Formats: sequence, structure tokens, C-alpha cells
Amino acid sequence: MKHHSTKREYWRSLEHLAGSPDLKQFSEGEFATYEPDGMLQMPSVTRRRFMQLMSAGMALAGMTLTGCRRWPEEHLVPYTKRPSDRSPGVPEQYATVAELSGVAVPLIATSYDGRPIKLEGNPKHPWSQTVAGKRGSADLLSQASILDLYDPDRSTMVLKDGTTPSSFEEFTAAFQPIIDGLAATQGDGVAILMQPLSGPSAGRLMSAIQQKYPKLYWCVYEPVGRENEIAGSRIACGQPVRQILHLDVANVVVLLDADPLGTHPAHTRYASDWASRRRNCDASMSRVYCAETALTITGSVADNRLPTKPSRISSLLAAIASNFGIKVTGGDATLAADEKKFVDAVVADLNANKGTSVVAVGSHLAPDIQALALALNSTLGSMGKTLELRSEPMYPITGDISDLTSKLKSGAIKTLLILDGNPVYDAPTDLNFAAALKSATTIHLGLYANETTAVSQWHVPQAHYLEAWNDARAWDGLTSIAQPLIFPLYGGKTPSEILAWIAGESATDSSSIVHKTFNIDPNAPMDDKMLNFRQILLAGFVPLATAEMYPSFNGTITAPASLTTWANNALEVRFQLDHSRYDGRFAPNGWMQEMPDPITKLVWDNAALISKKDADELDIHNDGNTTDMVRITLNGRTLDIPAYILPGQPIGVIGLPLGFGRSAAGHIGSDVGSNTYLLRGTDGMYTGLGATVEKTGDTYDLAMTQNHYLLDSIGFSGVEERVGEEAHTSADIIRDGTLTEYQADPVMFQRKADGSLALQLFDPPMQFTDPHAWGMAIDLTSCIGCHACVAACQAENNIPIVGKDQVQKNRQMHWIRIDRYFKGDVDAPEIVFQPVTCQQCENAPCEQVCPVGATMHDTEGLNVMVYNRCIGTRYCSNNCPYKVRRFNYLDFHSQDPRHDKYPMPWLNIPDQQQLDTIPEVKRMVFNPDVTVRMRGVMEKCSYCVQRIHNTQIVKRNAGEELADGDILTACQQACPTQAITFGDLNDQNSAVYQLHQSNRSYNLLGDLNTRPRNRYLAKVSNPSEA
Amino acid sequence: MTTEASDIYRQIASEHDADNTTGDPRFRAPLVVGGLDFAGVTETVAHLAEYKPPKAWYVAFAISLSALGLLGACIGYLFLTGVGVWGNNIPVAWGFGIVNFVFWVGIGHAGTLISAILFLFRQNWRTGINRFAEAMTIFAVICAGMFPGIHIGRPWLPYWLFPLPNQMEMWPQFRSPLLWDVFAVGTYATVSLLFWYVGLIPDIATFRDRSTSKVKQLVYGFFALGWNGSSRHWHRYERAYLLLAALATPLVLSVHSVVSFDFATAQLPGWHATIFPPYFVAGAIYGGFAVVLCLAIPARELFGLKDIITKRHLDNMGRILLATGLMVGYSYLTEIFVSFYNGNQYEVFTFKNRVLGPYAWAYWTMMSCNVFIPQLLWSGKIRNNSLLLWIIAMFANAGMWFERFVIIVTSLTRDFLPTSWHNFWPTWVDLCTLTGSFGLFMTLFLLFCRYLPTVALAEVKTVMPQAHAHGPHGPDSQRADYRPDEHYNPDKDAPRLSNR
Repeated sequence: MKHHSTKREYWRSLEHLAGSPDLKQFSEGEFATYEPDGMLQMPSVTRRRFMQLMSAGMALAGMTLTGCRRWPEEHLVPYTKRPSDRSPGVPEQYATVAELSGVAVPLIATSYDGRPIKLEGNPKHPWSQTVAGKRGSADLLSQASILDLYDPDRSTMVLKDGTTPSSFEEFTAAFQPIIDGLAATQGDGVAILMQPLSGPSAGRLMSAIQQKYPKLYWCVYEPVGRENEIAGSRIACGQPVRQILHLDVANVVVLLDADPLGTHPAHTRYASDWASRRRNCDASMSRVYCAETALTITGSVADNRLPTKPSRISSLLAAIASNFGIKVTGGDATLAADEKKFVDAVVADLNANKGTSVVAVGSHLAPDIQALALALNSTLGSMGKTLELRSEPMYPITGDISDLTSKLKSGAIKTLLILDGNPVYDAPTDLNFAAALKSATTIHLGLYANETTAVSQWHVPQAHYLEAWNDARAWDGLTSIAQPLIFPLYGGKTPSEILAWIAGESATDSSSIVHKTFNIDPNAPMDDKMLNFRQILLAGFVPLATAEMYPSFNGTITAPASLTTWANNALEVRFQLDHSRYDGRFAPNGWMQEMPDPITKLVWDNAALISKKDADELDIHNDGNTTDMVRITLNGRTLDIPAYILPGQPIGVIGLPLGFGRSAAGHIGSDVGSNTYLLRGTDGMYTGLGATVEKTGDTYDLAMTQNHYLLDSIGFSGVEERVGEEAHTSADIIRDGTLTEYQADPVMFQRKADGSLALQLFDPPMQFTDPHAWGMAIDLTSCIGCHACVAACQAENNIPIVGKDQVQKNRQMHWIRIDRYFKGDVDAPEIVFQPVTCQQCENAPCEQVCPVGATMHDTEGLNVMVYNRCIGTRYCSNNCPYKVRRFNYLDFHSQDPRHDKYPMPWLNIPDQQQLDTIPEVKRMVFNPDVTVRMRGVMEKCSYCVQRIHNTQIVKRNAGEELADGDILTACQQACPTQAITFGDLNDQNSAVYQLHQSNRSYNLLGDLNTRPRNRYLAKVSNPSEA
Repeated sequence: MTTEASDIYRQIASEHDADNTTGDPRFRAPLVVGGLDFAGVTETVAHLAEYKPPKAWYVAFAISLSALGLLGACIGYLFLTGVGVWGNNIPVAWGFGIVNFVFWVGIGHAGTLISAILFLFRQNWRTGINRFAEAMTIFAVICAGMFPGIHIGRPWLPYWLFPLPNQMEMWPQFRSPLLWDVFAVGTYATVSLLFWYVGLIPDIATFRDRSTSKVKQLVYGFFALGWNGSSRHWHRYERAYLLLAALATPLVLSVHSVVSFDFATAQLPGWHATIFPPYFVAGAIYGGFAVVLCLAIPARELFGLKDIITKRHLDNMGRILLATGLMVGYSYLTEIFVSFYNGNQYEVFTFKNRVLGPYAWAYWTMMSCNVFIPQLLWSGKIRNNSLLLWIIAMFANAGMWFERFVIIVTSLTRDFLPTSWHNFWPTWVDLCTLTGSFGLFMTLFLLFCRYLPTVALAEVKTVMPQAHAHGPHGPDSQRADYRPDEHYNPDKDAPRLSNR
């Protein structure tokens, strides 16, 4: 019974982990050795003495709050359910908010016994809801941020000179004189470098500081920021403006290197809006044109896509604009044939849809392009209909990072306070930011001790957003409040707390800051004001009726006089945000390292993306996982990086994902991939013109969760036969067609019967007589391949990461995967995303081959796994035509994912080794409703059976009927486009039943007579025929 | 009289000694050469157990024992770490573990085939080789039985495959072919062991009687079950042997048919084929005979068994190897034909991929070893050259291992959804475990050679001319129309024994 230790020492162990002397001291003074079992075994302890000790321990526990569970003591308001008294094991949900790049990500956090375990979109918040009031979607990164909270690599203590452990006391002793000295100099010589903070509290504190110390230097830096967009809006509107697209209104969407569904800060809402005009596949379907210099997920679902070079975007836009009377000088007016075709189609559709169309350009494009796009939208009559303009909130910005660096170098700035961020890693290389810091006193606040920490005099651990109060504003300015769900595990501080400290606020804890911003006294008796505040906490955002948004901009818009002419280069470079590491800040997150890139399916690595044509010219080859290394030279800087031949990559463009090759991203994130920031300087922050690429002669082994598009000729012919152009519109795997075809022939996807169930040789193996029959429908038309569902599933179902070497062996564990198929021309392929969960076959091939009956059917039609019955023969996986079963080849939860060799042998009883080998802090993220699987057992998607049963129990106890939509699977809930629908097939009014009856619905590999409960809806696209 | 007769036999035999493989239909080739009489046969066979074995035995045993140690180390590592130390992945959930299982089970076929089916068909030449073919069967089945046990994810729980009564009333899932395997292999192992042991009893008794050490007398005595060679014993023994032969005969066909169901009942293209049961049985016999040859050829050289396991025996086995090799080749072609004939795109692709895809080298290794190279056996000269025969048999062994690799691995690497395709590469643990299984097999086999009668003494003696009542000792020899015996037909110039 070793594992049934009576020690309840989560918190104490964490503090041990923190290991700071003061915490040690703290824990020692507080019955650190209190252990009833041990005391009972001591012969000298009588029963009476034991009772005395125990009651003393209880009393102490009660007084110090650290005795057993750490219930949040503050005045939080749970989102939906709050038991009259907290019941252990009953999850609670709170509305909170994360902030990424100065934009709020509204969330609902689920917490068990005081530990948050899951983050989902806030279903009431306009920027995260997908079904108003019922379902909210959160993107990949926000969902994964729960893992950061429990990351053992998180910064746990104040560090001095990069590595020396120190304490808050020591830091205060050093920092307070700096603050005290500000008054004399009005802040001169001191700079704050921060990431965008949108919240009213941060705004309030920044203004206060600025008033108090007007000479303080402010710099806001994000490696992939919106500075060009803002500069462009200054040209067109005379003031900084941000754009809100209404993809639900627009019939025609023209995107020039824009990725509204993928990396835009508001992409969840945009994806939801976009899907609302797609999923019906009728005349209301919108049309998306996309000319882009990378292969983004938006481009991959666009109806007409033109891969092009960064230097061609301005010409395309100018050509379109010139058709609407906007003449600009400059730019290269001659268009190639494919460009002309694209522009003509765009112009024809824009002409036909004035006022119901919108043109969007990527935020990284040059300001003159941004301005021209705004002018074009204005001319097209989009303003106020498909496009809203809002004044951009302004920070007290003194200069940009180049200016800051020169001031640091010149010695004008002697003290630099870096509030979150990692400029040493991600600032433009030519600035040599790390060297500039040498002459200044640098204080770094961060969730992790990163590259910047190493060259800072002080590092202060930052509180995770689930550990502190905060507020943030959504893309349109709607304010949300972040409620903490747990005390700071390592006593971190928030940026606002540091700002409040500088501002000289009387109370500098995050709670007081937010309460002060909202003018609330948390200890005051309940009154209307308090009630309103509680309403805000409950909903997670300020009620829309009273909300202050960013003010609308209705001024005149002027086109830029001229466009910069871009020289056309043989090879151009495009720096792009990574889908799961973002700009590198999510590199320490294991879930994100193992989240397949939607397009390349790469994990644990990045690569230079190169088109087939360029690769052939440069004699670059991909052979399975093994690929050639290339040396990229750009403006005198060089980088060796593996090449990845990507179908659809624009010819002449090398795509370089940012966020890799970090040297100090903890155990998980360090030395993963190649640091593409090394090529990036102020001379080209987003694109690099005139790059050269050569083979180094070395090869490199990448890890992908799906095999490379370029297979041997036999394999390639097999793929083509199944999903290529040869495949029939009613093929077994992917069925797709255009809207025109579908309207002309509504049963085109039903031509091939799925093996008529009416004609069966044998009786069905099981009769499903239960009132419920669970089923799922997955719409390929609206799936954008964003992987939010994968992250949701990973968090919900305690799915481990396995590490690069295991992915190379194809042992990744994700229960839902997104299959990506290319079709047609390798230079401009069509792309289909197909999420694949367990198909929950009624006639399941896996069940009949399991010798121990570890996979069985329940009466509601779920194919369920009995983990403790499974002995791991893996026959079920062999017989599963969908290969959705995942096997614990090793004890992946306790294994080190960065270990390149086999894990060390364990000497524990294998059935119980996890208990000893998973660090306690990592165990905290586990969902207690889902078994943590040990090694040697098979596992797979369960349609979130724990959610089904939890909801059923609650409904049954309440005496209510289960309604359609009451039960959401994790993937369905996370999906921003509602591509996944789950429900009861016995209920003819259920959404899933209706979708199963659709003319677009088909079974994956239906010919095998597996009779899946999953059905797919064929992909319908709406390309311009022109 | 006795001396004279044996002299004559020795003389006659010596005329045919160099080559008892002649196809001359006028007389039967002797099954024991070298002029051995009963005592000679016993001496020859018992020599190994009673005297120090040749140096080669020690060398072979040392190598085998080291390989066995390697196997133990690999299994220990596997238990402590997880089956992930092998190269298996998700499309290829079965790798070397099951390849080796099917390989060893297949080898285990020849023994019972030789013992049971050839016994029922009165193929008397089987007596020279049946003992160690049976032993090899037992050892191969031990190797085979080990693999499913260690290949499972939780290798401390293989007993859950057995229908053990328990308080939860949990039974195995009887629709699973893996469970059928448990029964088929279990039955086969039991019957083979019994058959082998029953055959051994009179010979163990012989060893007991010749033993000089107390320990040997006790041990052999215990296993001889009090055999005293009485007519009653012989009668019971022969009935039992016949019954077991009848019982074992269907098992020869059933066990590998059931093993093939593991694949045939699955719906994976490349597995899902009705030809599998006969195809697997033919392959198993082919592979089994190859192993018997591989063991017999060095054994007769090293242990002085050349007079008992004669060239005639090798020749016969070579013929069987050729015949079964042709059956296997026919199955390969049928498989390909059927996949194209049924037109299922997945089936067609699987076979294209086998022949031309990333594992084409494995396919063509298999084809060469199992179909092309055995064609050499059409030549009697090659069949009679033990070295060449041994090399061909080794190729057949490799070919049969590759056959299982091709069936299991290449089918799994590329199934229905191209997104799940993934290749399989073995790890060092895979390779060491395979090597180690040979260590286990050879260790057991060498111990068998050292301590047990490697030839069925009692049976061999029954097919020697001396054993026949109408032979030189019997009353029949007095008859005018006497012909020496049906086994031995000296040419007309040879002295007629009856005239003496």
C-alpha cells in the first residue's frame, strides 16, 4: 500500500520544489514532519499524545490555510455551478481570461478541488462563443496554457545574475531604491519593455506612472506585432485603427497574405463567423479568395488560392484597387497569367458584392499596403457592414525596440525593466540586444527563466494568469476580468503588480489592483455596485449593454499616394508564426511541442518550407522523415535548417516558422528546431528578399505525425488512387466537390452505397436497444484544421506526450488526429482536413479480436475500453481500419519526452510505477474523471464517456430529460467552426441525426461494414469558375 | 550362424554403403548402413550420452547458452521498461514478436508430421530422424509460446488468456483468434510432448540399463516408468503410440491453420485471405523440414550418426522440401492472383506494395529463399551433397522467417488510410531477442543430444533386416520361395541365404 500514503502534501512538495530558503523555513515551522502513520508506529507515542498532536495539527492547518487543500479564499464567483458548500470531487467552473498579444482570450476554467484542470472558451463571450450562450471555443494556445501552470520548469524563485537563487526580500531591497530614485529623475534613465497589455488596470497603472515619471521610457515589443497595421492605418485614417472583419456578413472575402482563421488574435470568432457562411453548402455560401506567401490554414480552406511571393502582394492589391478607381503609383503593374486570372475573378466578385465583401491584408505587410486595403474597403462600401474600424488603444510608447537598444548602448538607459517577454531571443538579430543589456541593470519578469533571464541582473517569477487577478480587453475592447483559480504556486508576480509597485500604489496585490480599477471594496457589504461586479465575474466580462468598447472610427479614409516597388527576387523568405509555439513563448509547453503543425504535421521541430519546384532545382530531397539540411543566407546572416518540401508552398518562397531553437526554454523547449530569428533583422522583420539557399550535404531526421506527401512511387500511387484526383467523388475516404456540382447533383456524394445494411449475411453482433444512441457528425466543409480539438482532447483525457523519438516511431497518443490530404497540382493543391476520432463502429472490428474482452460495446453504442482488463495484445489496433487506437508502448506519463534513448528501466511494480515516477506537480493537471493509463494498455477516443455520464447523472438527479446539446464532447466544444456535432441518434430532432440524414453524409471506409456511429459530411468548396 | 549372417550383411551393405540413395526400384535401399546390427545401433546412439561429447558440442553449447543469456537480458529489459523497446508502432502493432512466434510455431510442424503422419503412412525411413524432429518440435513450440507472452503490453498478465475460473466470472473473449491460438498451440504442445515422451520410454529404459552412474540410473529410471521390455509393455506401447499418432495427425493441420486465422479473420488487406490455412500449413512443413535438415546434417557428422541418418534420409527430406516449397510458391502466386482478381483497390495495392514498395527487398528475399533456390533440389546430385543441402535448408529457414515478416509487417505498414502509414524498423532489442530465441532453441536441442537418445532406437531396430521374422534367423528362411526380406533385395549374384 505504498501508494496510499496519507501524506497530503501537494503544496508542501511544491514549496520544496521551489526550494527557496524562506519557504523552507516557513514549512519547517509548521509541522513539516507531521505524519500520523509514522507517529502511530512510534512506540513512544501514546494514543493520547497522538490525538494531541493531531488536533494541534488541525488547528494549525485551519489557521494557516496551508494545512490541507488550498481553497481559494478570495471572493470569487463561480461561473455556473456552485454547490451550497464546496463538495470535493465536484468540478467548479469559473470565467476567467487569458491575454495573448494584448487581446483577451475569454475562458471558462474547470477546477477540481482547487486545482484548475481544463480551459474552455467562454460560451457567453461574443469573441469565444460558437453557439451563443451554450458553447465557447478556445484556441490551441490558450487551452494548452493550463499545462504551463503545472510545468516543473516554471520559474519558481527570484534569481540574481541569471542563475543565483535569491528571494523577494533581496529583490525588494534592490528594487525599492530604483523606484525611490525615480522621483528625482522623473524616470529618466529607466525603461520599461513590455508586451501589449490591454486591461484597464494596466492602462490605469501605466497612465499613473507616466504622469508621475514623464521621462520614463516605454517600449512595447512583440516579435510578431501589429506595428505595420497601425502605421498603415495612420496613413489611411490619420490615427491608429484596428479592423473588425465580419466574415458572417461578407459574401466575398479577399485575403492578401492574411490568416484570419489561423494566427489572427481574433481568429476564434473569425473562424466561427466564417463557418456560419459555409456549413449550409447552399447559395448562401461565401467565397474566400486568398493570395498568400505561405500555406496557412486560412489559405488551405480558401476557395481560390494563389500562392505568391511577398514582393507580389502589393502589385496584386494595386491591380485589384485600380479596377475600383483607386490609382496609386509605384508597384509592379505587370501581372503573370495566374495572377491576372486571380485578380479578374476577385474583381468580378467584388463588383457583384459591393457592401457585402471585404478585403483583408496580413498585419505584417507594409504600411502602404495596409492603407491601400483600407481605402479599397472604403470604396467597396464595406465600412460598417463587413468591416468595422475601431480606434486602437494607445500605450505610452516612447520608442521601438531599435531605439531602445541604441539608448541602452549609448548608456542613456541604465535600468531596464522587462515585463514578460524574451527580447534576447526574439529581438531582431542585428540589434544584438543581449550585448546592449550589458551596460544596464536589467530586471526580468517572466513565467520562465529564459534566454533574457540569463543576461538580467534580476529575474522575478511571474504569476500564471490562473494564479492572479487581471483584466484584459477583447479585440473590440470588451473588458473581461480574470479570476485566479489557485494561489500562486511559486509566489509569482503579475506585470500589473510590478507596475503598481512602480506607481507607488498602496496595495500592490493583483486583487487590490483589479478591485481598485473597478472601484470596488472587496470587504464592503453587498450593494448594487458589488452585485454588478459579481455579475461581471460570473459572466467573465462586462455586460454588453454597459460595456465600453474601443471607440468606432468613422473618419475619412485616404489611399496612399504611392506604393513601394518591390524587386522580384529568385528566392524570398517569409517568417511566419508557428501554429503551436506562437513566437516561441509556448516552446516550454510539451503539448504544444507535440501538437502537429496543421499543414506539415511536424512536431518537435521546424523546417524551412520549400516548394517542390524549388527543391528540385536545388536538388533537395525528403525521404520519409529524413531530409536534407540547407543553409539559408539572408542579408549576410546564415542559418542551417532542415528543408521540408511542402506542396502548395509558393514557388520562390522559403517559409521559416519562428519560435524554435530556443536555448533556455526549460527541459521541454530547449534546443528544439532551428532558431529562425537568427536570420531576422530590422531590415526585414517578416519577409526577407534575396535569400540564397544551398544544400549543406547533411541530412536531418524530422518527426511527423503523418507521412510526408512525397512517398515512394508505389505509395504515392496508392494515395492518389484513394484521395487524389483519380478518386471518385464518393470515394471511401474523402468526398468533395464544388458548390456548383453539388447544387446540380445533390446526391453526388451518395452514389456509392456504404454496403447496404439491409442485405446482411449475419445478424448484427449487437442490438442497441438503449434509449440513447450516441453518434457524431464531422463536417469537412467547415473544418479548418486548427487542432483546437486535439488540444481539448489532450487536456480532457489525460493524454501524454511521447517525445520526438517516439513520434518518429509513430507512437503519438492523440485520440483525435487531423488527417491532411493534398489533392491535385503539387504547386497549388487542394487541401482537405479530416478529423479522425474513434468511429465507434457498431460492428467493431477491434472488439471481436480482443482475446480478453477489454474492448466492448455498451448499450448506448459506445465502443469502450476497459483499461484494467487490457493486456496489450494490440490485435485491436491491427484490425482497426481507421488506426485510431493508441498504445502505451512505454509509460509515457512518467517517461521523459526529451530522452532520446529508451527510458531507464523501472524497478517498481509496473502496475504502480506511475505513482512514483510522475512528479506531483505534473499530476495536478490530470482530469480525475479519466483514468491515467499505464504502460502496456491500449486506449482510444471514448466520445468523452465521462462527460456523457456526468451529464446523464446530473440530469437524472434533477429529474430532467436529456436535451440535444446538453452533452458536448471536448473536441466538439473546442471547435470554433462547429465542425464536430455529437448527440443522440435516437432523437430525430437532434442536430447529429439531422446531419446524418444530410446528402453530404458518408461513412469513412463504409464498405467495410463497420457501421460507424461517426459520419462525415463531404467537403463542398465554392471556387470561382471564372 | 549369427556371425556369418552379419558378415554377409556387412558385405552386402558395404556394396551399397557409399550410396543408399539409388533409385533402383528392384531393391529397397537399406535404412541403416555401415553394417550396424542392433547392438551397433544402440552403441552408436548411446555413445554421445555415455562418453564425453566432441569439442564441437561444447563450442555450440557455449554459443547457445550465451544467446540464451542475451534472451534473458532482453526479456528482463522488456519487462522493466515496456514493449516499446521493440520497434513496433501504431500501424505496425505486431512486429518481430509475432513474426518470431509464427516462425517458431511453423518449425514445430515437421516433428509431428514426421512422427504421426509418416508413421500412419508407414514411411519407415522416418525412424531415423523422428526422435530429434519431435524434440525440435517441442523446443520450437517452447520458443513460439514465449513470444505471445512477452509481446503483450503487460507481459506479467498472459495468463488472462486462459479460461481460468475467477470470482468476477470473467472469461476470455471466445471470438478472438488469439484465444483459438492459445487452445491450438496449447493442445499441440501437449500432444507433441506426450507423443515424444511415449516414444522415448523404451529408449530411456535402454539408457537406464546401460547407465553406470547412480544419478543417471535414477533419473533415467524415473522417466523409463519401469519399462522392462515385456511383450505386454510392447503391446501397450505400440497401441498408445498408434493412438497418439492418430490424435496428433489432425493437429499438424489444425495448429497452423488456427495460427493463420489470426491473420485471415482480420480485415487488413494482405491478411484477409481464405487461402491462409493451407498456405500456412504447407509453409510450416516446408520450414520444419528445413530445420530438421539443418540440424540433422551437422548432427550426423558430429555425433557419428551417419549410418542411421543416411544419405537416403537426407534425400527424402530434400524431396519433401522441394514439394512443400512448390506448394508455398503456388500459394504466393495464388495470393497475388486473387488480390488482382477480386479487384479490391486496397488488396491490389497491398500486393503491389509488397512486390515493389519499401519492403520489396523482404518480399524478394522470401521469394528467392522459398521459391527459386529450392528448385535446385530437383537435382539428385545436389540433394546428395549434404553441404549444399544444408545451405539450401538454411535459405529455406531464412525465407520462412521473411515470409512471416512480409505477411505481418508489410501488410500493416500500409493499410486503408494513407495518413496512418508508417514503416517498421526493428531495434537492437528486437534483433537480440530473435537471436536469443535461437539460443534457447539450440540450448535445449544440445542438451537433448547430450542426454537423451537422439534416435528412436527401438523403432530403428524394427526396420532393420534383422528385425524380421522371415529374416536369416526365422523359420521362413527354410522355405524354398524365400526372398531375403522386403527391405533388402540383393542382386541376383549375391549369395542366397536360403541355399546355405
